[in-house]
This record gives sequence, structure tokens and C-alpha cells, in this order.
Amino acid sequence: MASNPLYIMLCSGEHEKLQMAAMMASVGAVSERPVEVFISMNAILAFAKGAPADTRYQGGAFSKLLKENHAPDAMTLFRQGKELGDLKLWACSMALDVKGWELNALTDGLFDGAMGLTKFLSDAENGQFVTL
Amino acid sequence: MPAAILRAKKALKDVAMGGTLEVLATDPGAVKDFEAFCRATGNELLASKADGKVFSFVIKRMS
Repeated sequence: MASNPLYIMLCSGEHEKLQMAAMMASVGAVSERPVEVFISMNAILAFAKGAPADTRYQGGAFSKLLKENHAPDAMTLFRQGKELGDLKLWACSMALDVKGWELNALTDGLFDGAMGLTKFLSDAENGQFVTL
Repeated sequence: MPAAILRAKKALKDVAMGGTLEVLATDPGAVKDFEAFCRATGNELLASKADGKVFSFVIKRMS
């Protein structure tokens, strides 16, 4: 079954957008669609290793509903997508540099490495590009 | 909710080729989700039923 790869540019640190990115990435991956996620700007702060869920996820009205209804944790969804399909997560090398972080400052088991924007945009010409 | 799709994908890994998996869900959106999932993954949706608030699906593993 031919499938169009999905490239997600995740820049927002808002819980709602993190959650949607995790849902899109995991569902895409289990639907046998290759997915790559580029994580930059405020979004990368949400992937800090060891951050408690209530500080990791900050958002608006829907964030509150997600927490009240015990929606699956976004990090867990990303992990399941990686386990069950072809999902890659890339940390923006510029964002890491500005923050003074190495990859090991980020949540374990999710990132396939750091990448520059130029490379990601070039790869994304192969598929569908979405920004959150 | 993607949860039903993710769990079905995981469970299908343990189903023999040609074998079936029954899934129960409470999200009405699951009906179209499972149609799309089976189309995308090359599996066959043998049955799709609604009984009040419970939606049941039978998926035949073909790939």
C-alpha cells in the first residue's frame, strides 16, 4: 500500500498542540505511513527529561479537559508510534544550541537525533507537511 | 480517540496471518477510523456493529 510520508513541524509548547502532534504521529505511524516530527521553539521545552506532567503540559481550556479526562500522555503516544510504526523524532539543532542543551537533556527513548531545518525541509519535499 | 487504533495495531501483531481480532470501542468516530485503518494497513474489516454505545469490529489480519 503506497503511502504519502507525513512531516510534522512542531513549534508550539501548548499542551493541545503537543497532544495533537502526538496523536497525528502515532496514528499515522500505525496506519503504515512514515512520519517524521521536527521539534523546535517552545515545543522542545516540553520534552525536557524528568519534567512532571503538570508542568510539562500547559495550555488552555482543552488542556484542562485533557487532564481531567486522563487523556493518554503525549510522550506515551509518541513512544507507541515508534514501537508500532515508522516514526522519527528530530530535535531542532538550533533550538538545542540556543537552550544550551545536548540530546540527553530530552526525554529518553523518543529522539532519533538532532537535525537542522534545511535538511528537514528538504526531506519533507517527499511528502505532506503540517505545522503545529 | 486514537487509543482504540493504537491498541488494535499492537494486538494485531500477535494475531496469525488470516486470523481475526475483535475490538470494542465507545467512540462513534471509531467506525470510520477502523474502515480507514484497515484500508491503510491492508487488513480486512469483516464486521462493524453498533449496539447502543458499544461499537464492535472484527479485523482479519492480511498483512
